[in-house]
Amino acid sequence: MDENLVWKIRAFIYLYFAETARSPLVEETASHFGMTGEEIASAYDDLHRRHALFLAPGTHNIQMAWPFSNAETPFKVHANDKTYFANCAWDSFGIPVALQADAQIEAVCAQSGDPIHLTVRGGQIEGSDALVHFLVPFRNWYDDLPFT
Amino acid sequence: MNQWLASQGVKEHGAVLSIPKLWELSQHWYQDRISSDYRGRKPEEVEMIFKEAGLTSEYWQVK
Repeated sequence: MDENLVWKIRAFIYLYFAETARSPLVEETASHFGMTGEEIASAYDDLHRRHALFLAPGTHNIQMAWPFSNAETPFKVHANDKTYFANCAWDSFGIPVALQADAQIEAVCAQSGDPIHLTVRGGQIEGSDALVHFLVPFRNWYDDLPFT
Repeated sequence: MNQWLASQGVKEHGAVLSIPKLWELSQHWYQDRISSDYRGRKPEEVEMIFKEAGLTSEYWQVK
């Protein structure tokens, strides 16, 4: 498949996530582009190999298109009158950055179990003196993305 | 933090970022993510982002 088309499909996926807070099914993307499901599944596979998104194992369902998560997680971001789920603490910051929107972030402290609330307003973040721990070194992130 | 990591059986310390530092990194990392022009990043571009955010420890090495 033409590389430019693959990246156009990737751009559609991201806009879809931004507008709906979930990932598009293969059929939805196929309908948008007037393509077959097989063609879109092939493009999804290509984007997965490029680490441009992450497919749930054994499927063509988009589980992660960073910073967005298609699955519910402990990292919620309320922005643009929607609730998005982020893949991790970093991605919960990435959603308001990517959307260029004010946001309320909800998370849970892994150490204490206490709720964490952060506010993003006017490009600034406020509300907690928490620390964020990264376990897996960057060069190994893609070895096992759900664990990372 | 060290006590908690030990209680979780974590032997590698990894990296710890404050909220302001992670926010700064997020600006570099995600600002263009929804752009239709986004085409992924080369390793040297990732290195530059980490460097600009002051993240130069072994943990953040790309290669």
